[in-house]
Amino acid sequence: MIEPATFLLAIGIILGVLVLLPRVVRWWAAQRRAAALLREVLGEAAYRQLDQHGYLEVRSPSRPSQRYRIPRQKGLVTVYDGDKLIMSLCVQPTVRIPGDDTVLMHKLLIEGNEAEYLRIANRRDLTLAAPKRHGK
Amino acid sequence: MAKLRILSSAGDSIVEWDAARVQQGDPDALAAVREAERIFAEQRARGATAFVVAPDAPARRLDQFDPAAEHVVLVPRVAGG
Repeated sequence: MIEPATFLLAIGIILGVLVLLPRVVRWWAAQRRAAALLREVLGEAAYRQLDQHGYLEVRSPSRPSQRYRIPRQKGLVTVYDGDKLIMSLCVQPTVRIPGDDTVLMHKLLIEGNEAEYLRIANRRDLTLAAPKRHGK
Repeated sequence: MAKLRILSSAGDSIVEWDAARVQQGDPDALAAVREAERIFAEQRARGATAFVVAPDAPARRLDQFDPAAEHVVLVPRVAGG
């Protein structure tokens, strides 16, 4: 004989799985599609770099000494001038898209529409964060 | 095959057409191009930006639909975070 509370709990778990499972499957399929598209656009070498380092580097089309670092996981895009970190940028899609599609989004916007990307971005100038010490 | 890919929460959706068959006036290929052009205009009106992508080349912004472009990706509207 099953206790009523146990029975209700079991029903609840089954309903929860039935509701959540299709969402998980759709989410997983979207992640896989996004990874495949990113791999196709980047090519093997750049995709491997992303896998190994956790970020993708994109050269600034307008300033050859600068490069953007796009994190694969959530986080800010950072800008380096040579080896020096100079700026962080926050730009987000207005609709939710998979993580790898977000990496691709940043890359395309930087390469093909940099001025607009910088205009939209919420920027933080990091050259002012640690002022240079003069003298000694 | 030429491709238009639209980034969305489900990953990306694709419209494909054969540019050579479009030139020959193939009805199915022409219908696919018209569908791609409709989606392109609709997404652009919503603030999306289109880019032509190619291996080992920087992306190029595309303001007008081009049926000859091999691979186009539509990125949804973005905002400062």
